[in-house]
Amino acid sequence: MEKLTIALAKGRPAKHTIETLEKAGMHFIDFHADSRKLVFFNEERTIKLIFVKAVDVPTYVERGAADIGIVGKDNILESRADVYELLDLKIGKCKFSVAGFPDYTADSNQTLTVATKYPNVAKKYFSNVGQSIEIVKLNGSVELAPLIGLADVIVDIVETGSTLKENGLVVLEDIEYISTRLIVNKASFATKSTEVKDFIDQLKNALE
Amino acid sequence: MRNGIEKSSNRAVMNYKIKNQLIHKLKSRFSTYGYEQVHTPTFEDYDMYNSIQQTVNKDEMIKVIDRSGKVLVLRPDGTIPMTRLTVTDREINGSEQRLFYVFNVYRHPNGESTEKESTQAGVELFGNKKPEADAEVIALAVHTLKEIGFNNFKIEIGHAGFFKELIEQANLSPQDLQQLQELIQSKNMVEMEPFLTKLDLPSEIQEALYAIPLLYGSPSAVLEETKSIIQNERMQHILDNLLAVIEVLEDYDVLDFITLNLGLINNMDYYTDVIFQGFVENIGKPVLMGGRYDQLGKQFGKDMPAIGFAYEVDDLLEAINQHKLTDVRNEPAPLTLYYVAKQRRKALEAAQSLREQEYRVITKQLEIGTAEAGILFLEDKNVLIDETEQTFETTEELIRLVEKGGA
Repeated sequence: MEKLTIALAKGRPAKHTIETLEKAGMHFIDFHADSRKLVFFNEERTIKLIFVKAVDVPTYVERGAADIGIVGKDNILESRADVYELLDLKIGKCKFSVAGFPDYTADSNQTLTVATKYPNVAKKYFSNVGQSIEIVKLNGSVELAPLIGLADVIVDIVETGSTLKENGLVVLEDIEYISTRLIVNKASFATKSTEVKDFIDQLKNALE
Repeated sequence: MRNGIEKSSNRAVMNYKIKNQLIHKLKSRFSTYGYEQVHTPTFEDYDMYNSIQQTVNKDEMIKVIDRSGKVLVLRPDGTIPMTRLTVTDREINGSEQRLFYVFNVYRHPNGESTEKESTQAGVELFGNKKPEADAEVIALAVHTLKEIGFNNFKIEIGHAGFFKELIEQANLSPQDLQQLQELIQSKNMVEMEPFLTKLDLPSEIQEALYAIPLLYGSPSAVLEETKSIIQNERMQHILDNLLAVIEVLEDYDVLDFITLNLGLINNMDYYTDVIFQGFVENIGKPVLMGGRYDQLGKQFGKDMPAIGFAYEVDDLLEAINQHKLTDVRNEPAPLTLYYVAKQRRKALEAAQSLREQEYRVITKQLEIGTAEAGILFLEDKNVLIDETEQTFETTEELIRLVEKGGA
């Protein structure tokens, strides 16, 4: 039997995913939440878990460094990785939204300045609605950008909307719903078909 | 005869040797199937590429401007120039042609890669539209991958016409079509369902589109499942064609390496029928891609059925390195002949005769403290091999001494 390598996003989502894997009958004995180790095996040593930064999970999978990845749709969309997306784990639910001041009105004749951590997502959305934009790529505190005049609107992940509210912003438009997904490398799907399918089936059963 | 390659400590030399060995292997195998090598110009006419529909993305082409202001493009693919070469040759006149090429193609990188240049090795079979022709090139792909030494690889076969036929009836906007393709290509069933519902299509087309990504697996099972979504005669015809190709592949005894994937959509729009790509274990992207493109010839003025595929040689090399399939011999470095100034003529003469015998020889004037392992020319006809003084009369005797000494 071929070994499977699974890439997980470090941090909160990882703990959640491990719980699901445990439920599916895969036990990672030496795993505990505050371990600094980045590689774990299950008891049968048929599955290798690697922990990487969430934004890197799609890259690991696309390049074949991992057969399977479990990661948020936000990172999949932003990476534009050419992979199979086979399962919705229905955890980490949130959405991509355009947000700005409540009195903001769209003017499609003017170039809009958009601050975001997700330039690809923003570009794709605004090109679909026919709005020309200029991107300001930020790595955090995106909500600040409209407040100090750095951008007209922001594109960001919205969970409860409380951060927006505290900064006087509102959701202007929803772009896409996000949750944790399972992605598979296309070569692995072809060359390790049985192992990949078995893994997904086990996970599916545990999710039900 | 072993055709392994000799080790070298120079990385560039070693990389080139490995690449060359691989290309040599591919070329010999292509040629045993009756394919002959041709070459096409590196600079192509931009207008030619521009006038062809369904071609390489124009933004990816690397353009240059010649002295008269004409726009040229660095050959972005192999299939289009190969087709032009064959279709416009009157002598050939539609007869069957088996051709192959090994050359570099140039494109502006898409995404994270920065490489503008890549080597492709491909075959094209012109003038034959039978399932036997499809199976021949696919079997050739399997044969070469096996020969390189991979034991876990798969050729995924799909059909470009199948998807086209279905969406023809659906009448989608370009944006929806793009989104649908992305969903099918990523087998994203989760989002496929709401997306299809939103599109408001006839239910049988909706069901067929929903089924496409799942039509994946062993040929017999997939062909059976596909029957249930056949909408019209054209689709039935496509299914019959796939079945016929699979039957020939069975006779080639390569079905173990074949997976059917009807959700396979190639971004090169010129494909009309069977399309396929090859995956090697642990290498994320396909190492080869190909398919049938029966309409491309028409754009150069003549009907010419054709099928072919190309290896991305650099990706294949990565796979070979990762699977440690390089055949490296531990062969001796070139012989070094050292000589004192007075003996130079003798030494150079001896070097030439050794080279005539296919020995690799480097000559050097002896300087104090420079001689390492090698042959040292002392007095007339006397050499020092491994610190023993020996004599020789003829070249044969020298060769014998060299071989015995293992210098």
